[in-house]
This record gives sequence, structure tokens and C-alpha cells, in this order.
Amino acid sequence: MRLILLFAAFVVLGLAFESAVPHLVSFRALIPNLIIILAVDLGLRHHGVLPAMLAFTMGYATDALSGSQPGLNAFMMTMVFIVSYGISTQLMVTNAFVGATVVFFGVIATALATVAIANGFDALSDTGSILPGLTLEAAISAMVAPFVFAMLATGKRLTGLPARAARE
Amino acid sequence: MRGSFLWRNRVLLTSGVLLILSLHLISTGVHPGDLAARPQSAILEIVSPVDAAFTRLSEGASSLVGDYLDLLNVRKENTHLRIELARVKSDQARLAELEVENRHLGELLELKDALGTNAVAANVIGSDATGLSRTLILASGTSDGLRTGMAVLANQGVVGKIIAISQHASRVLLIDDHNSALDGFDQRSRARGIVAGMVDDGLILKYADRSQDIRSGDTIVTSGLDGIFPRGLLVGTIQSVHREGPGLFLAVRITPAVDFRELEQVLIVTQPPPHLDEQAGD
Repeated sequence: MRLILLFAAFVVLGLAFESAVPHLVSFRALIPNLIIILAVDLGLRHHGVLPAMLAFTMGYATDALSGSQPGLNAFMMTMVFIVSYGISTQLMVTNAFVGATVVFFGVIATALATVAIANGFDALSDTGSILPGLTLEAAISAMVAPFVFAMLATGKRLTGLPARAARE
Repeated sequence: MRGSFLWRNRVLLTSGVLLILSLHLISTGVHPGDLAARPQSAILEIVSPVDAAFTRLSEGASSLVGDYLDLLNVRKENTHLRIELARVKSDQARLAELEVENRHLGELLELKDALGTNAVAANVIGSDATGLSRTLILASGTSDGLRTGMAVLANQGVVGKIIAISQHASRVLLIDDHNSALDGFDQRSRARGIVAGMVDDGLILKYADRSQDIRSGDTIVTSGLDGIFPRGLLVGTIQSVHREGPGLFLAVRITPAVDFRELEQVLIVTQPPPHLDEQAGD
């Protein structure tokens, strides 16, 4: 329950931030993808059925404020969770650097996959012009990720949650 | 139980089920009134006040930084006067902001009168949460008489249509989103086509016949045939027409009439175009 409340608070703030700030910042790519950072943290540090469902719910919440195809972000966040979970079970170290790397590739992969699912794989040929901005967004998200992980760790410590789950 | 296959692979199995559920949602979509639409409305309702607060906070912070920089090098004895000046400046900025808002609303009112239909104005409080799609969040919802599918306009032209709604907030799919399409025509040549958004920004006119006399600089307006947008509203001007290459249709790029990033207030047409009523009557 504490994990749900903690992530719910972060998701509401993250979505509000991502939705409100683009109106003030002229270049959208400067805004980090906070929801992917949260999904990566879940995958790397929380192994269980509840975190998987949380990742799906975070994506579904993003669907409420983004795009016109409900389920698309839910699918992507579940995928990010699975990949992060897979990396976490294979690697002995799941520190902020690993998390930031997963975030970087996660932002690019989810964006391209979103375009492909929403418009067909042919649409990927039109993504050349958005790739520089996308890479910048991914880099900024990766740079912000350690700070978000630290804030989450503080939140977990304050709520009595373990900062990292026991390995299965 | 703990050593069983299901238990060992519970995370992957749960994720697999959730992926299938997501794909089901993507393929079937969520329609207003569906069970799956309720959580989305609730999320929109929860996030929109925080969103509005973030917008106000960001605007306030930017104004605060400006004021601080103004006062940074002021000598001590002038502090009081400077603060007073800052207050006056702040009031002046606020009045200027009110004047701009007043002008926007006045223009929207003129547009409403020109349309001769029922419409309500709404404030824009946010944009798309991911940036891959082009949507806006409005601070008006069902309590203001809005419904999904309603046309959203600005005084410069067509903005989009409402795709999701809660009691006090709604989301607008902009016409330059890659999932958006509306029926339009070239005002000079009368050539019809579908105005659609593109992944890499901008608008195109699809299915315009190669034999049509479409030229750069022509004005594209709504045809009213899509049952959403009233006829004759400005969509944009033609930026380029490519006749080279194979295919039955022209490649036409359009510059939107509206600068979607600058939108602060919009007008929502609450009355469907006339022919929809006729269809309903049939």
C-alpha cells in the first residue's frame, strides 16, 4: 500500500509537470520523461506482481493525459518494467548509472515503438527529423534519473519501504 | 507453492497478461461511457488541478526571477522604492495580462457571434504529457456542457476536437497530431482532401487528386462534411505542393493557421453542425 501511495504521488506530480511545463518551455525535448524513470526504478528495485501492475497503471495514467490511443503508454511502461526487471535479475549491480542507461535507451525505444504501433512500421521512416530531439530528451531524462531515484529512495526510507527488493 | 513454475515466473506472467490487456485496449479503443474510460476521467480530474497549479507556479516563478534580477543591484536606501516599483510593475504586468486575456476572449466572442452557434470559451492549462502526441488540456469539462467529439477553435482557425473529458477538465486532440484527420478543401480551386497531422510536425492534405489546381499560398478551410467542424473555418495555408514521383495524389504540406503553442483560450462549439441533427432525425 505504501509503495502504491508513494508512486501515485510521484506519478501525479510527474504527469502534471510534464503536462504544464511544455507550455512554458519552447523546446519540448528539454523536458525529461519522468514516468519512464519511475517505471525503471520499479523494474530495477521492486520485483513482484504489484510493481508490474503499478508500471501498467502508470502507463494507463499517462494515457489519460497523452495521445489518443488508450493502452499505448500502458503497454510501453509494462515493457520498460520487464526490460528493467530482466536487467536487474541478470546484473549484480543496479545502481543509478545502470538506471540512467536503461532510461536513456527506454525513452528512445518507447518513442519509436509508440510511433510504430500507432501509425504502422512505415511511419518509422518519417522519424528522422524527430530523432535529434528524442536523443536530447533521452539524455536529459538519463541525467535527471539519478536525482529521481534518490528522491524515490528518500521517499521509501521515510515510508519504511526497502530501498531495493530482495533478489528472487 | 513457492517453488512452483507459476510462483517463480509470477512477475513475467503478470507482465505478459498486462501486455495482452494493453494490446486489447489499443485495438478496441476506449469509448466514452466504457468501464475503462472511468479511471481515465478520474486521472484527468485528479491531475488537472495539480497541472493548473504547476502552470500558475511556473508563471509565478518566472515573474519572481524577473523581479529578483531587477532588484539585484539596488542600493539599500532605495530598497523600499524599488520594491514599490516592482509591485507597480507586477500590477502593470498583471493588468497587461488581463488586457491580453480580455482581448483573446473578445476575439473568441466575435468568432462565436460570427459562427452563429452555441459555444463556450475555455482556458488551456496544459499540453500532452509525453510530447509524442499533440494534445491540450482545458480547464473545462462536462460541468461546462462539453462532450467528447466537440470542435475546438481559436480566433485564428481550427484547433482540434475533444477526445477525453472529466467533470472539470478535457483533452483536445490537435489537428496536427498524427492520429488527427478532418475534411477540408482549397478555397480557390475547391479541391477536397483530408487534412491530417504528421509524426514530424505539420499538416498535410491527403487524397488531393493530381489533376487538381492546388497552389502554394492557397487557403484550406473546413468542409463541414466530417460532422465535427462547421464549414468554412480556416485550417491553414498551403506551404508546398509536390507533383513529382509516382502515385495518384499530390503531396501537399499545409502551414496551420493557429500557433498551437501560444494558445491560452479556445472556443468549443457545443452545438453539432446542422447536418448531424438531420442525420439524427432520420
